[in-house]
Amino acid sequence: MSGNGATSPGEDPSDQFIGGDNDEGPRVEFYGGRGMSAFPIAFFIVWAIVQTALWRIGDTGGLIVGILVGLIIGMFFVRGNWKTYANTIFEGMTQPVAVTAIVAWIWAGMFAQLLQDGGFVGGLVWLADAAGVGATLFPAITFVLAAVFTTGIGTGYGSSVAFVGLFFPAGVLLGANPVLLFGAILSGAIFGDNLAPVSDTTIVSAVTQDADIGGVVASRFKYVIVAAVVAFAGYIVAGSAMDGLEISGEAQTVFLESSEAIGLVHVIPMLAVIGAAVAGRHIVEAISWGIVIAIAFNLIFGLASLGDIVMFNAPSDAPFAGPMESLPVLTIVDSADAVGVTGSLMSGVSGFFELSILVLLIIGAAQIMIRGGAFEVLLNWSLENLATNVRNAELTMVATAALINSIITINTAAEVAIGPYISKIGERFNLNGYRRANILDGQTAAMGYIFPWSGGVLAGYGAMQNLPGEYEWLDQSMLVTPIDVVPFVFQGWLLVAVFVIAALTGFGREYITDRETEEVARV
Amino acid sequence: MSVFDKYLTGWRLRTSRPSFEVGREVDIFIAESNGTSGRAYIGDTELVVEGAGPETIEKQVRVRVTEFDETTASGRGEFVEVVGESSYAE
Repeated sequence: MSGNGATSPGEDPSDQFIGGDNDEGPRVEFYGGRGMSAFPIAFFIVWAIVQTALWRIGDTGGLIVGILVGLIIGMFFVRGNWKTYANTIFEGMTQPVAVTAIVAWIWAGMFAQLLQDGGFVGGLVWLADAAGVGATLFPAITFVLAAVFTTGIGTGYGSSVAFVGLFFPAGVLLGANPVLLFGAILSGAIFGDNLAPVSDTTIVSAVTQDADIGGVVASRFKYVIVAAVVAFAGYIVAGSAMDGLEISGEAQTVFLESSEAIGLVHVIPMLAVIGAAVAGRHIVEAISWGIVIAIAFNLIFGLASLGDIVMFNAPSDAPFAGPMESLPVLTIVDSADAVGVTGSLMSGVSGFFELSILVLLIIGAAQIMIRGGAFEVLLNWSLENLATNVRNAELTMVATAALINSIITINTAAEVAIGPYISKIGERFNLNGYRRANILDGQTAAMGYIFPWSGGVLAGYGAMQNLPGEYEWLDQSMLVTPIDVVPFVFQGWLLVAVFVIAALTGFGREYITDRETEEVARV
Repeated sequence: MSVFDKYLTGWRLRTSRPSFEVGREVDIFIAESNGTSGRAYIGDTELVVEGAGPETIEKQVRVRVTEFDETTASGRGEFVEVVGESSYAE
């Protein structure tokens, strides 16, 4: 601190003032400076782009190898004890946010599979056919329903999984463009992830900016709805311009004829999940209720048998298999390849095993970047060089939040990491907590569902892998390569655009002196 | 503020240089200090806060506005008390 005495009005005392500094030294040091701690993540992103975009291999296992190689090479750049590097990976992997995402995927995966096996897709197709909703409108309607569902349950990842399992095949069959459909599902997930009071990103944005959740949701509605109205129109326009796939007329007719309205009974478990989540139940509890009701409906209405839900396929030489074969969940199989556990519950979770490992490793690598200081270098540089006035400060907040969320796969983890910096930049210009939380969460929600390595895209793509086995008419070539969906996640791109315009024009800007957040007011 | 009002707040283009009436008390974060007086930015408006020392940097303080010039969006105020911490403080 300088001690040059009081400044009288009219003087330009800029040079005499210095800001606070709460810089903590990095815990892991790298040869080549703090920026090198971004190596494992940077290596992984290059690997992911080469593998999924250039060579069109959407294999999650391959991505796991990519991040592992990145982490191993990164270790050789560590100065001093490598143990700290290893421990930092563990520190990142054991963060609750990563596990929360995995739990949401697995629970939602089981739930969606039960609905799918209970004929919900057939019910949707029947309804769309009866209501005259064609291929043109289907993506736009999917966007709205995914948005409502996500706003109800709060987990965009869970919604991506459920809607890819349910609405994606229905839409493809009706002739909607698959890439557009996937984009619409991700857009709906972004809408809900951003706006839902029970969404973990909404909560993190409010808590890190000292704001109350109710006020944050109310104040962000204006940005979300502006983006959503344009996105909705965009899906209608694009829906009429982009062709669907050629499904053989025969397969389509067969599926349409076998589609029955009874599958729509599964709207009730979906509403139960929304209701439980809105009533403040934990997401695990809320989706578990949905699972229980879906199982009950499948059995009561004869939509699926107990064996369809879970089936043990035992080898003939298993000692207790023969005497218990009469059980509805046990089958004796001859081929060794057929031995295993199958059914809705199993196939619902099986898509997420590799993905879970991948996400844990990426979060570990992200922690290396944070503890190694690359993150801090970037943010301090932007704070000092870019945030020169309030407009630039807001643009810097948008850009850094978007950048960090584009890099770190699980958006909640990215948000936790960048929250303090958003607060630091915003408080310097006395922007109030709502505005800061909205800028932070807008980019967090948007960027979590756009790129091939984003958690939401990975979750949806994971769920998509199961589909060719479910429907005869749906083959691997009809699935969406993650890189292709990037331009069609309209809600994500529009949300970022709305915040850029809001920073430039002052739309929605509020200062601490205009209105204090209720959390702060209570203190 | 009613729930409905909360949804309607902020549907406007807010200036980057807000004004303050002399005599008004505001709770704002101090950005910098030269030892005896501090400086706060509310958007691009600058307030020099007399009596806000280094210990008030990045703290929220109550300031009584004593002078304000709208054309330059700058003014002076008196430090009253520290009322809050930054949301990123440990």
